[in-house]
Amino acid sequence: MKALVPIKRVVDYNVRIRVKGDGTGVDLNGVKMSVNPFDEIANEAALKLKEAGVISEVVVVTIGTAKAEDQLRSELARGADRGIHVVTDEEIQPLQAARILAELVKRENADVVIAGKQAIDDDNNQTPQMLATLLDWPQATFASDIKIDGGKATVQREIDAGAETLEVDLPAVISADLRLNEPRFIKLPDIMKAKRKPLDKVELSEFDIDVPKLEVVSTSNPPAREPGRMVKSVEELVAALKDKGLV
Amino acid sequence: MNIPELLAEALPQDCVTTEAWALQSYGCDRTTIWPAQAVAVVRPRHIDEVQRCVQLANEHGFAVVPSGGRTGLSGGAVASNGEVVLSLERMNRIVDFDPVDASVRVEAGVVTAQLQDYARDKGLCYPVDFAAAGSSQIGGNISTNAGGIKVIRYGMTRDRVRGLSVVTGKGERLELNRGLLKNNTGYDFRHLFVGSEGTLGVICEATLALAPAPADPLVLVLGVPRFADVLEVLASFRQRFSLSAFESFSDNGLRKVCAAHRLATPLSTPAAYYALIEVDECDGAAEQAVAAFEYCVDQGWVSDGVISQSLGQAAELWKLREYLSETLAAWTPYKNDISVAVSRLPAFLAEADALMAARYPDCEVVWYGHIGDGNLHLNILKPERWSKDDFLARCSAVTDELGDLLVRHGGSISAEHGVGLLKRDYLHYTRSPAEIELMRGMKALFDPRGVLNPGKLIA
Repeated sequence: MKALVPIKRVVDYNVRIRVKGDGTGVDLNGVKMSVNPFDEIANEAALKLKEAGVISEVVVVTIGTAKAEDQLRSELARGADRGIHVVTDEEIQPLQAARILAELVKRENADVVIAGKQAIDDDNNQTPQMLATLLDWPQATFASDIKIDGGKATVQREIDAGAETLEVDLPAVISADLRLNEPRFIKLPDIMKAKRKPLDKVELSEFDIDVPKLEVVSTSNPPAREPGRMVKSVEELVAALKDKGLV
Repeated sequence: MNIPELLAEALPQDCVTTEAWALQSYGCDRTTIWPAQAVAVVRPRHIDEVQRCVQLANEHGFAVVPSGGRTGLSGGAVASNGEVVLSLERMNRIVDFDPVDASVRVEAGVVTAQLQDYARDKGLCYPVDFAAAGSSQIGGNISTNAGGIKVIRYGMTRDRVRGLSVVTGKGERLELNRGLLKNNTGYDFRHLFVGSEGTLGVICEATLALAPAPADPLVLVLGVPRFADVLEVLASFRQRFSLSAFESFSDNGLRKVCAAHRLATPLSTPAAYYALIEVDECDGAAEQAVAAFEYCVDQGWVSDGVISQSLGQAAELWKLREYLSETLAAWTPYKNDISVAVSRLPAFLAEADALMAARYPDCEVVWYGHIGDGNLHLNILKPERWSKDDFLARCSAVTDELGDLLVRHGGSISAEHGVGLLKRDYLHYTRSPAEIELMRGMKALFDPRGVLNPGKLIA
């Protein structure tokens, strides 16, 4: 069974981001970039299934600038077998990404796609769902547990009221949520091995991504939080809450 | 009139407390050896009130223990002899910041992490950092010359101090060094107060130098089967990088931390020792790190290793080191905080190891340390069946032998934890009789009536 795991190079989760002065986006100049954390979890899940003998090959895919190769190599070091890098400087939106991935799934003849549920830079949470639709495959999103057996995947997913368990026929698209696993640390010997793992570079022009795009009109900081007020007694607190109509 | 009444009369009412919880809590530091026996806790808001308190102590002959975050490990802030605890915690304002001088003026009660956050918001950094940074206070850091995990690059607290406001044991107020970078006008009293452990005066305010904001960290944890090879690893990484940290810890310590905090062990195959290395993330840094690692593996020094892929992972790896002290607290450890020149570490350690094995056959010994600074923390864990007193007596005896060993290797009995009560009687292993006599003279000069922290540092 072959798994395809899409990953994205994003601004590191721990970076305090700054909005550009002219409001055209977030300043990424000199900012630490990492693998989207949900994608690390997705790859970890695929690798665990590989270690369990369920999946035979894990192919990691990224769509991005030449520098995104760093992130692809990281995930190869984590244990993926092969990488595909669709090289572009263009900003790719979810529907475009889903179209590219759908094409790659067909070329690779993959049996399952395990993806992060969303990327932490744009927080769209759309690509896995669109991909499933384009492929006409079942989808199981926000997975917190994945079991694969006999051509079916049993996926536990987190919903507002608790946990829901789905059974989907393979091939399918599964998207990973935060509690699915804790990705392992990457070992230095594996980084050395990853340098020699096959990595195909593919031109963006090979894909039909001519779809309407969203335009970002402006980016701004959230409104500053209003300062708190210290009260001296419980009575004063209750009075203040009543005043605001909160009790 | 008794002491609490005297204080209550001379100082604003809410500055003085004698409530049992306060006497207990403010009378202790992180050591659990001496019981809290304070008579009152004074928490002033202003330097004038500090001065008034010290003057009263001189007039009426009571002892005062200056107190910060009470995270000390040597009993320097313990009040177990009927003293008044003078806590600086309410003097916690950041008074001034100057971007041109890259310095900040703070009151003594500012918490270390508060200053670190403040400096970060200003695009700079306060680089003194250690596990207790969330509770320790600047005044305490200065009076113990705190070190920590970034000494290899930034030096100790002393290297940050540009100026001090102190109230001496005599009750005088002194402005030391005026925050200047260059000031060659004779004896620099500022440096006397750094590391004086509250025996000369009460540090009330400080001007501290900030450093440029550091680059993002890249963190490696390497498995090293033999201790002597940790130093080889240090040397080979030093050739390639300006290190921002080089820490080491033993496998039994790592296992305790991972169990207590439910952390994943970083390496699938354990090694007897680990090195945690932090370098600046920049283009090519990861490749350099892999190359250095490869070299160390080829030499047979290193068995395995991991490298952080994100800032989150860098922080995760640091937990393995930072949680050690707190984790071991459950075993009531006897802490030896020693240093020798880095180059002498292997020879010293071979002998120290043999000593530990011979003298503590029944005790587990966990060690970790700032290897890049030649600083080791040897923690002797108390076997459950031993009483605290038995255990302490045994440990003290071994400390004398360790002292002899340190004399031979030219080391220090207290690298960064200070002397306090715990190491006072071992001071002579590091300082000569002539030096100790001069220390006494110095103490008499600044605190002629001996009201400040009596019995600490020097007997």
